[in-house]
Amino acid sequence: MARRRTKNLGTNIAAIAIAAFVALPLYWMVASSFKGQADITSSAAVPPHPTTANYGNAFSNYNFGTYLMNSAIVAVATTAIVLALGTFAGYALARLPMRGKTAIMTALLMISLFPTIAVVAPLYLLLRDIGWLNSYQGLVLSYTALMLPFAIWILRNFFLGIPKAMEESARVDGAGPVRTVLQVILPQALPGLFTAGVFTFVAAWTEFIIALTLNNSDRYRTVAVGIALFGGQYTTPYGTIFAASAVAMLPIAILVLVFRRAVVSGLTAGAVKG
Amino acid sequence: MTLVDARGPRETRAAGGDSRRPRRGGLRRSSARLGWTFASPALLVVAAVMIFPIVFSIIMSFSNVNVTGNGFQLSGVTGKNYSILFGSPRYWHDLEFTATYTVVTVTIEMVLGTLVALVLERLTVARGWLMALLLLPWALITVVSAQLWAYVYNGVYGVFDAIMNSVGVHNLNVLGTPMQASVAMGVADVWKTTPFVAIMVLAGLVMLPGEVVEAARIDGANAWTVFWRVRLPLLRPALAVAVMFRILQAFGLFDLPYVLTNGGPGTSTESLAVLGYKVLFNDLEFGPGAAVAASTALVVLVVCLLFLKVFRTQVGEQED
Repeated sequence: MARRRTKNLGTNIAAIAIAAFVALPLYWMVASSFKGQADITSSAAVPPHPTTANYGNAFSNYNFGTYLMNSAIVAVATTAIVLALGTFAGYALARLPMRGKTAIMTALLMISLFPTIAVVAPLYLLLRDIGWLNSYQGLVLSYTALMLPFAIWILRNFFLGIPKAMEESARVDGAGPVRTVLQVILPQALPGLFTAGVFTFVAAWTEFIIALTLNNSDRYRTVAVGIALFGGQYTTPYGTIFAASAVAMLPIAILVLVFRRAVVSGLTAGAVKG
Repeated sequence: MTLVDARGPRETRAAGGDSRRPRRGGLRRSSARLGWTFASPALLVVAAVMIFPIVFSIIMSFSNVNVTGNGFQLSGVTGKNYSILFGSPRYWHDLEFTATYTVVTVTIEMVLGTLVALVLERLTVARGWLMALLLLPWALITVVSAQLWAYVYNGVYGVFDAIMNSVGVHNLNVLGTPMQASVAMGVADVWKTTPFVAIMVLAGLVMLPGEVVEAARIDGANAWTVFWRVRLPLLRPALAVAVMFRILQAFGLFDLPYVLTNGGPGTSTESLAVLGYKVLFNDLEFGPGAAVAASTALVVLVVCLLFLKVFRTQVGEQED
């Protein structure tokens, strides 16, 4: 009994240390977003004169509202298209008899881990040729291709876990293949769709190098690029940057906390199979 | 439906007699066709917008690329771009930096991540909350974390300097000194990515067969021996996946150095991706830039092939 208590004590102390290491930088970001110009250089743990001026500044002196809208449009559109295409592809690769499935899945997993720098120059030149720089469709198309491989991967793993009998009985009942997927498989695979959806949304919301390259005009800038380029050449307006960062983190934090289980099962989709 | 269940598929086939056999072959072929119909929209998008550009990068890297205000031409076959690259000490420095950074940060993240996973596994209170907290750095925009650490390390008013001053270390210029800037960047990376590793490893831990550990314990092995001799070897597949994910991500490192140090001081924290980006879009040298991108992709491909066995076990051998 005493032994067990000391064991728990050690675990709990370690857990508190981990929590502090993770939380302190985040706290520092949020606290600094409430520091005025005079206090931003102070290392006071609590803002001495809390102010929301930075939040107003991000929206009025910088076009942060536009960036937020751009990111939302691109991330939502990307997620919708990835889920629509990825569901059918994931189902086919899990269930239907096709030659070369192992090769396709291996290739998809490799592509999902490829460095983006490898595609950014051709994407820039080719999209410039068709006039899709500084547009939503150029970024959505690039993100769809970038994020589909991992989404297909997650979805396929979920489809593999659904009992085959469900589809067979649907077929006997006379349901066509598309209806089978939409009405029988999809409801079963809902957790997988949430997981793939959250991953795609987070990836699209946080992506930097492609957005930096393709959409450099202020009108089509996304949140990540906006936050990187805030400020002038000699000064960095940290208060404003962290106000914007806190606002940008909010939707992602809510999404991740609400779909915590989905995210964890996505992160573990690989490990579980091994 | 009950009828089918009662007889089972084999009996159904037998009852149908010979006439069913060719139809089953046809059914198989038609559902293979259905498979390609279902899969092809997604695969075509990936092929056109991911695979084609990778191939195009390689072609560009062997051509004279002429980019003008509204178009571009490729002409001839040349090794010039690569000879520029391989003759440049900056390229070799950046390759070495990226490789060293990858090895060091991934090693630290794996060790810390495994320790965090072990803590999470034993934790009985507030485990869900800690997991949720761990997900936040993972989901944070990397640019945001880069700005945050730039502020923390600021040489004039950064809180890191304030803390160091209070323990008697003065006049640090973390981001202005090559070695310190690399370490500082590594700390930012470890902060953001260790949670990701921890959750992947935890999944592996939870999947371990409890009987084996129990048996070892009954045989008199202490906790230390059980961990090193029983659990760690069983955990190897999960660890291999996490290592593979992290190595490949770390090798494409861009957002963090681009915002935190812009590769500086000098080029001391410049990764291959940052070099490629600068050559492409600051110097507008598309030929040599494509050579940087293509050679980075090649290194990643080699790493992928080294990990092919891990990939294979991930996909699973179930060719239909």
